[in-house]
Amino acid sequence: MRRFFGRERSERKAANVFDTIEEIRSRLGEQQYIASDEIATTVFLAERLNKPVLAEGPAGVGKTELAKVWAAATGRDLIRLQCYEGLDETKALYEWEYAKQLLYTQLLRDKLSDLLAGAETLGQAADRLAAEEDVFFSDRFLLPRPLLRALTSERPVVLLIDEIDRADAEFEAFLLEVLSDFQVSVPELGTIKARHQPMVLLTSNNTRELSEALKRRCLYIHIDYPSLDDEERIVNLKVPGLPPRLARQAVELVQRLRTMDLKKYPSISETLDWARALLELNARSLDRHTLDTTMSVLLKYESDLRKARRAVARADDERAERRRRDRDDEFRNFREN
Amino acid sequence: MNRRVVEFITALRAQGVRISVAESIDALRAADVAGVTDRKVFRSALRATLVKEPQDLPTFDKLFPAYFGSDPPPPMMQPGGGMSDEEREQFMQQLMEMLRSMTPEQLRQLFEAMMTGQRMSGQQMRQMLDEHTSLSQMPPNVPGSWALRRAMRELQFDRLQELLEELLEKLREAGVSEEALQQLAEEARQNQQALAQQLAQEAGAGMAQREAEQPRPRPSEEELLDRPFEYMDEEDLAELRPIVTRLAAQLRSRVALRQKRANKGNLDAKSTIRANMRYGAVPLDIRHRRKHLKPRLVIICDRSRSTEQVVRFLLQLIYTLQDVVSRTRSFAFIDTIYDISSYFNEARPEQAIEQVLQNVYPKRSYSTDLGQSLADLMRDHAGCIDHRTTVVVLGDARNNENDPRLDVFEQIKRRSHKIVWFNPEAPHMWGQYDPGSLSSDMLKYMPLCDSVHHVSNLRQLVAAVDSLFVR
Repeated sequence: MRRFFGRERSERKAANVFDTIEEIRSRLGEQQYIASDEIATTVFLAERLNKPVLAEGPAGVGKTELAKVWAAATGRDLIRLQCYEGLDETKALYEWEYAKQLLYTQLLRDKLSDLLAGAETLGQAADRLAAEEDVFFSDRFLLPRPLLRALTSERPVVLLIDEIDRADAEFEAFLLEVLSDFQVSVPELGTIKARHQPMVLLTSNNTRELSEALKRRCLYIHIDYPSLDDEERIVNLKVPGLPPRLARQAVELVQRLRTMDLKKYPSISETLDWARALLELNARSLDRHTLDTTMSVLLKYESDLRKARRAVARADDERAERRRRDRDDEFRNFREN
Repeated sequence: MNRRVVEFITALRAQGVRISVAESIDALRAADVAGVTDRKVFRSALRATLVKEPQDLPTFDKLFPAYFGSDPPPPMMQPGGGMSDEEREQFMQQLMEMLRSMTPEQLRQLFEAMMTGQRMSGQQMRQMLDEHTSLSQMPPNVPGSWALRRAMRELQFDRLQELLEELLEKLREAGVSEEALQQLAEEARQNQQALAQQLAQEAGAGMAQREAEQPRPRPSEEELLDRPFEYMDEEDLAELRPIVTRLAAQLRSRVALRQKRANKGNLDAKSTIRANMRYGAVPLDIRHRRKHLKPRLVIICDRSRSTEQVVRFLLQLIYTLQDVVSRTRSFAFIDTIYDISSYFNEARPEQAIEQVLQNVYPKRSYSTDLGQSLADLMRDHAGCIDHRTTVVVLGDARNNENDPRLDVFEQIKRRSHKIVWFNPEAPHMWGQYDPGSLSSDMLKYMPLCDSVHHVSNLRQLVAAVDSLFVR
C-alpha cells in the first residue's frame, strides 16, 4: 500500500545546497549539461531564495533537460507534470479512489451492520456512521498526482511542470497557491504543506502569454539557441565519437539553417540526433549524398527540406566554381612562368 | 547599493517594464545573495528577478550600464616603454612643460591620461561630459552616435593627435631615437582609442539614465481606448500592446465564466452508465452532454490601408482568446481571398500579424473586390464554414463598383451559425458615395447580417468581440 504520509522511514539527508555559482556550473557539467552564466545564476538564486523558475524559449533548447540534470546534480528525485489542454486538479493534484472506497464498503458491510446494530433511531445511526467517515476520506483512499507527490515526498524533489503554456488559464491560477506557499488545500483533509520545499521548474514554449501573477512568483530565464561555440561544445560532449572537424562542420550548417526562413528551426536535440546519425553512418565529410540522406533528421517539413537542399547545393556550386577558378589561375600562372 | 537598485527599478518602470513590489523585493534579496563582486552574476540575478518578458530584455541591457557602471574600459598602457632612462627623462620633462601651458583644462586632462597611461575614473569622465559638452541638454530624440560625435568635438578630442605630433617633434629635436619615438606614438594612439571608447560608454550610459528619469508624457489609457484607429501612430501602438493583452485576459475570463455556467447540459444516460460500471453501477459520477459552447470562428479581413490597424487589433484579440474558441480560420481579402491561418499556427500572434501585413498587401490601388473574394472563399474553403461557425467580416464594404455577390453572401449565411459584420466606418457613412473609394455596399450587406458593429476604436472593438461569444 502506498503510504506517502508515512512516518516510519527516517528522513534521508537533505539535498546538498550549492555554495557558489561555479560549483553549480561544474556539477551540472558533470551531468553533461553546459550551463550559461544566466542559467547557473538562476539555479543558484532558486536554491537560495526558494523560488520557482520559469524557463521560456523555443522548443528543444534543453529546458526540460535542465530539470533532469538539476535533479541528478543535487540527488533529488524528479517529478514531472506534463501539461495539456484540459488538465485539471484531479489529474494534477489528487483524486479519490472511488472504486477502492466502494470495494471497502462492500467488504466491511458486516462490520458496518455491527456498528449500526444498537442504534435506535435513524439519526443515531447516521451519527455513528458520520463518526467513522474519516476512514473513507483518509490518505488511504487518496490517489496522489504529481503535484501532491512532490509536496508530500519523503525525499527532496525537483518538480518539473512542463509546457505550462498548453494548460488552460484556470489551471495556471490554481498553481499559484502551490508555487508561492508550497501548500495545497484538499477540502476533506485540510491544508497539506510541503515536507521538503521542492525546487520547481516551469517551462513554456511561448505559444501563449502567461499571466502576470504567475510570472511574478517566478525567476525568469529566457533560453535561446546556443552560439556556434557552445553548440559545438555540446555536440562534442554528447556525441564523443564524432570527429571534431565533422562536428564543427555540422554545427556550422545547423547554425546557418537557423538563419534561413524555415517553418521550424532545428533544435539542439535535433542537432544531436543528426550528429549521432552521422556517427552511425560512419560519415567522413558532409558531402551532398550524406546530406541528402540524413537531413530529414534535422528538418521535419518537406518545404523546409527542399529549401535547405537548394541552399546547400547553391553553396556547393559556388565552392566548386571558386575551386575551378583558382585552379585555372594557378595553371595560367604556371604557364606564364 | 539597495538604493541604487531601487532607482534602477524606477527607471525600468519609466521605460514601460512592469515590475511589481514583490518583484523588487525579490531583486533586492537576489542581489544580496548573488553579491556584487562578480558583475556578470549580479546582472543575471537582477535580470532573472526583474525581467519576465523577452521583449523587455533590450531595455534592461540598455539601462543596466547606466546604473551599475559599464563594462571595464579597455586597459591603457604606460607609454615610453622602449626608451632609455635618459630619453624617458626628456620625455617627462617635455610633457610637463606642455601640460603646464595647455588650455582648456579638459583637454589637458585627456592629454595627460593619454600620455601617462593613467586611467580616468568613470565619475571624472561623466563630470567632464556634463560640464564641458552640450550632451546633457540634448533633446531625447537625438540619435546617440550623433550626440556623441558632437560631444567629442566640443572636447576638442581630435586635437590630441596634433598635440602628440607636437610633442614628438620636440622630442626629436632633443635627440630621442626614432625607434623609441615610433613606439611612443603607437602606444599613445592606442591609449587615445581606449579613451574614446570609455567616453562613448560613459556618454551612452549618461544619456540612457537621463532618458529614463524624464519619461515622455503619455496619453492616459482612457484616451487611448477612445482614440480612433486611423489617428494612431507607432508610439500609441506600443502603449496599447499591454492594454490589449489585459483586455484580452478580461474578455477571456468573462467568456470562460459564461461558458462554465452554461456547461451543465442534459444528463447523458449512456455515458453515465458506462462510467459507473466500475462502481457497481451506482451512479456516482454523473455525466452530462456537453453543449458545444466554444464558437468556431472564420474571420475575413479587408486588407487595405484604411483597415490595417483594426485588422491588427482584431487578430490580436482573437488569437489571444484561443482557449475559449474551438477553432479559428482567418482570411484576408484584397481582390481575392488569402488564407492567413497558417501564419498563426507557427508564431505568436504579434509576430504572425506583422508577417501577414508584410506578405499580403494590395499591389495596386482600387483593387478591393469583396464579391470575388467571397466567391473564391466558397470555392476553395467552403469546408471551414458549418452550422457551428460564426463568420466575422471586417471591412468598410467599399467595393470599387464591383459586384457585391449578395448571392454568395447569402449562401455563406445559410451555411453558418451566424454572420457578423465589423465596420470601422461611422454609421452615417454607410452607403454614402465617397470620392476616395467610391460606393459603399454596406446597406446591401446589412440586412443579411445577424449583427453589425461599428468599430472605430479599441473600446468598441472589445465590445464587438465580446458579443461574438454570447449565444
